[in-house]
Amino acid sequence: MSALSDPKGYWADLTRSEQGVLAFIVGFAGLLLVGLLTGALAPTYFLYLVGLAGMYALLSFGLNSQWGFTGLINFSVAAFFGVGAYGTALMSASSSPIAGDVLPIVGLVVALGVAALLALAIGIPTLRLRADYLAIASLGLAEVVRLVVLNERQFTNGSAGVRGIPPFFEGVPVLATLPETMPGLAVRPLPGTTIVLETPFWSALLNVAIVLGFVGISYAVLRRAHRSPWGRVLRTIRSDEDLARALGKNTYGFKMQSFVLGSVIMALAGVFYAHLNLFVSPGDLDPVTTFYVWVAVILGGSGSNRGALFGGFVIVAIREGTRFLNEFAWIPIDVAPLRLLLIGVLIVVLMRYRPQGVLPPQRELIWPKVVDEAPDRPDSGVREAKAGGGDD
Amino acid sequence: MVFDYLASGLVFSSIIVLGSIGLSLIYSIADFANFAHGDTMTVGAYAAFLTFGAVGGLGGSVLGLPLGFFVALVAGIVVAAVVAVLTEKVVYDGMNAGSIELLITSIGIAFVYRAIIQIGFGADFTRYEVQTLRPIEALLPYGIRVTQHDVAIVLSALVLVGSLHTLLQYSDLGRKMRAMADNPDLARVSGIRTDRVKLWTWIIGAGLAGSGGVFLGLYNQLSPRMGFNLLLLIFAAVILGGIGSVYGAMLGGFLIGMINQLTPVLSDIALLTDMGALLPLVPDSFGITIGIEYANAIAFVIMVAVLLVRPNGIAGEAT
Repeated sequence: MSALSDPKGYWADLTRSEQGVLAFIVGFAGLLLVGLLTGALAPTYFLYLVGLAGMYALLSFGLNSQWGFTGLINFSVAAFFGVGAYGTALMSASSSPIAGDVLPIVGLVVALGVAALLALAIGIPTLRLRADYLAIASLGLAEVVRLVVLNERQFTNGSAGVRGIPPFFEGVPVLATLPETMPGLAVRPLPGTTIVLETPFWSALLNVAIVLGFVGISYAVLRRAHRSPWGRVLRTIRSDEDLARALGKNTYGFKMQSFVLGSVIMALAGVFYAHLNLFVSPGDLDPVTTFYVWVAVILGGSGSNRGALFGGFVIVAIREGTRFLNEFAWIPIDVAPLRLLLIGVLIVVLMRYRPQGVLPPQRELIWPKVVDEAPDRPDSGVREAKAGGGDD
Repeated sequence: MVFDYLASGLVFSSIIVLGSIGLSLIYSIADFANFAHGDTMTVGAYAAFLTFGAVGGLGGSVLGLPLGFFVALVAGIVVAAVVAVLTEKVVYDGMNAGSIELLITSIGIAFVYRAIIQIGFGADFTRYEVQTLRPIEALLPYGIRVTQHDVAIVLSALVLVGSLHTLLQYSDLGRKMRAMADNPDLARVSGIRTDRVKLWTWIIGAGLAGSGGVFLGLYNQLSPRMGFNLLLLIFAAVILGGIGSVYGAMLGGFLIGMINQLTPVLSDIALLTDMGALLPLVPDSFGITIGIEYANAIAFVIMVAVLLVRPNGIAGEAT
């Protein structure tokens, strides 16, 4: 059933919360469109925000494949993100103290490799134990990674950060020089407003294309993995690890795979961030990032990939939206603690009143074909399909 | 020099012990890792800060501290306990959730505490308006630089830990708490009012944390992040001692606090710093210097090592 061929039926088929989210997205997109057309929102900044939202969506995917799929509590999202960002930055930046001037693609591979090794190192001692040990150890890991980046000046430049990171497609024919070769365009979307599109716009557009590529690939992989027998084992571990073990599954191995997979996706977000911002510093490893991502995943619905996508976008809206609060003089306090308060209250309220999130995983866990072929009452169809599919 | 590090280690570990006992108690009786424990310490510290500002010195002084400070200490303990009990009643109690969900909620609670303190007091460092003292003269010849305040911290911590020991071993409540930590269901069917015991656990755990926060503010400075920054050390102490064991938490807290303050000694060990010169096949300039900035990282390494070798900690039962 497609939204285009049968919009009415598509709408009726959605759950209540799905309808709400869809209406919210359409309304928000409309608002952004108005902002773009009237020139209130600069297109380059808009594309930067889309890039940032894509980055948060990637981080949420990573956390979702750990917490949402398997129930692993990872409080060092910021550390894996930082490993990704610093990994590629130290490889490819011109001011890098260790390697430098390597192709960003190589930097990507190195960064993901280091993140995978780090995930293994923290997973080995903790994943055999109760879930809260991983939570405690990963909170410590985030602090240690931050300390190392801050203090090992001979490797990381310390608090000065790493400058001179090339764009992602450096060294690739055509794409590397694409933003410069594109002509400047003057667009008149409405009478009286003129928007000039030049090199910064094209490079921002290229960045958005990169992040959409990353998000698209990760989404496709995770969706496939989530529905596969492998994903079913992870879900079983999340709801009852003893059961999974009784069924003969090596739960330690499965948990490790899920943890490494999630950490690599987080590092991918970091790689993108380094090439988006072209500068990384220890400030990017702020532990608060971790909890933004947690809010995104819990809000979206733990275990749901599209929920994680939605949560990632909401978080960017909160982060960039509250930035403007500082400009209002009548608010006497700084925005930083207000944001912290907002995150804290969101976590508590969500866990207290709606732990399943806005878009809990329902049909997305099952092959759509099974649902479509089910008899009139889709609910019982879903249940039967679940019972039929869960026994391998 | 080593004596000086040992002395400051003793002071610092008193603070860690006060934090880790409460965390361990709540871990074993409320059955979840309370990530808001560090920020409960911050709450205690700032409550004492407010009270001390309001009541002033009140004349007289014990160990260089005016009597008003002890009033403030009690206020810090009471406020931390009240805040924790309110949180338990309003948030955790109504949740029909497992320990993992409670754990995630507690990190939200931690942010709420910290954000409110930061809104009220700003993000900067502050101090109690207590006169800073010179180190005790009699100990200076031995290279030990401790003030009377440090002595007050250690003594107060000893009193608090001692009374907790008495409470746990000899009082009715203590026996109920130990029973509940051991097996909550069995405790319940034996007629113990587990709700009430749980409430007392929160009061005692958060009260000890509050006192730890007050002493931390006296030992260093106050800042909204002070408790959260200590959380890693406290968790390391609890895991080293064995989760759920109060006496393990005391021992773990003592060791972690000591090691933390002894970190400067590591950079004096020739084996590490001149490793290149001592070992063959390694370049002469090679050496590992672990500066004091890695004091928290060492606690983390110890924690991971304990999880690998003996996940139940020193005092926990081996699996």
